[in-house]
Amino acid sequence: MKTTVNITINGESYEESIPNRLLLVDFIRDVAAQTGTHVGCTYEGVCGACTIQLDGAAVKSCLMLAVQADGHEITTVEGLATDGELTPLQIAFNEHHALQCGYCTPGILMNMDEFLKKNPDPTEEEIRHGLIGNLCRCTGYSHIVEAVKDAAKKLA
Amino acid sequence: MYPAAIEEYVRPQTIAEALAAVGRFDEGDALFLAGGQSAMQAVKTRLLRPRCIIDLQAVAELRGVSVDGSGVRIGATTNYAALAEESSLDGAYQAVRDAAARVGDRQVRNRGTIGGSLCWNYIAACMPPVSLALNMEMKLIGKGGERSLAAEDFLGGPLETEREDDEILVSLNLPAAPAATGSAYKKWGLVTDALPVVGVCAMLTLDGSGACASARVAVGGLGDGPLRSGAAESGLAGVSAGDSDAIAAALQAASDEIETQSDMWADSDYRKLLIRSLGAEVIASAFARAAT
Repeated sequence: MKTTVNITINGESYEESIPNRLLLVDFIRDVAAQTGTHVGCTYEGVCGACTIQLDGAAVKSCLMLAVQADGHEITTVEGLATDGELTPLQIAFNEHHALQCGYCTPGILMNMDEFLKKNPDPTEEEIRHGLIGNLCRCTGYSHIVEAVKDAAKKLA
Repeated sequence: MYPAAIEEYVRPQTIAEALAAVGRFDEGDALFLAGGQSAMQAVKTRLLRPRCIIDLQAVAELRGVSVDGSGVRIGATTNYAALAEESSLDGAYQAVRDAAARVGDRQVRNRGTIGGSLCWNYIAACMPPVSLALNMEMKLIGKGGERSLAAEDFLGGPLETEREDDEILVSLNLPAAPAATGSAYKKWGLVTDALPVVGVCAMLTLDGSGACASARVAVGGLGDGPLRSGAAESGLAGVSAGDSDAIAAALQAASDEIETQSDMWADSDYRKLLIRSLGAEVIASAFARAAT
């Protein structure tokens, strides 16, 4: 029923014996105590708040078992800033008021961080298409789209 | 939504190891997991309660697209993000890219796989009608050895396939396409990129004059499971791209022939309208792709 795993989160390795049925999002939040990754839709895989990067690719951490991440590298929102210095995407979210309650923000940042690496000069249509997997119930997305556009410009 | 207890987790490196692992369990007790974007939902809701999960993520021989003189081989655990970028599919098999680029969302496309979707055969999935229209050959391997099934024989009604619980879908194989062949897929859902209420895929091969020499048309989102439309296919024979009346007649015959269900997403007549409207779009794209 239990497996010993070694999962690297934001550069730190966590070796733990965990139940096979533990979801990755709960490993991140409860075992590694990195609570920036959120659960919005009671693990239904529809809200995107639990989006993390698995070996650099944005995925929903409620749609994986933690044991599946054994030997892999996870980046969460806590891993974006270096030495407390925010990334251009994070700064753009702040400057453009791209969050109100902030609950969806970590998932959106983890998705858009990878999106901008793959598509550094996106159109508005591509940004909106890229955001489909992340629900935000406060902002209506306009400011989020503006922030991503601005971050793309600053990263260019 | 939380999984029931899972006794064992196995991550084989090869198909042989995966088959050895499944062989240790009674039929139905071990679940092969590819990207898990559908199957994990079923595990969390306890629709599936596997004693063992056999995670196929590390089996390299199941992943990737290769092309040679005999055609295209799509490894079953190739994810949608990779398929959406796969330029070797352009023209004859471009419908795979159309579908892969619009499945779910970025996060799902980064992890979800074509083979996983085909084995799940969800009613509102894009890959089942694509596999029918493109005449994919499904290669399976199990303890009794290998076998290959045409998509039509592999797919059943919603959530049903011919795959045995202890068999692995290895690859989807497409023969080298005849010259002047093009395909396209389009879906309609209630919001952008939502699960399709209806999805239509067409593959056309043109003759020297640009008329349709052969057509395969398939529809997804149906209560009976994905289906080919014989009426659309025969109605398109000899038709040219500009023959909009003949194309409309073929699609009318398709929508008359196919039984559509009414549910909370759309009523039966609206589904028939979607078959005609999406059908006209994908046929126009397939003609254009075949001609280039």
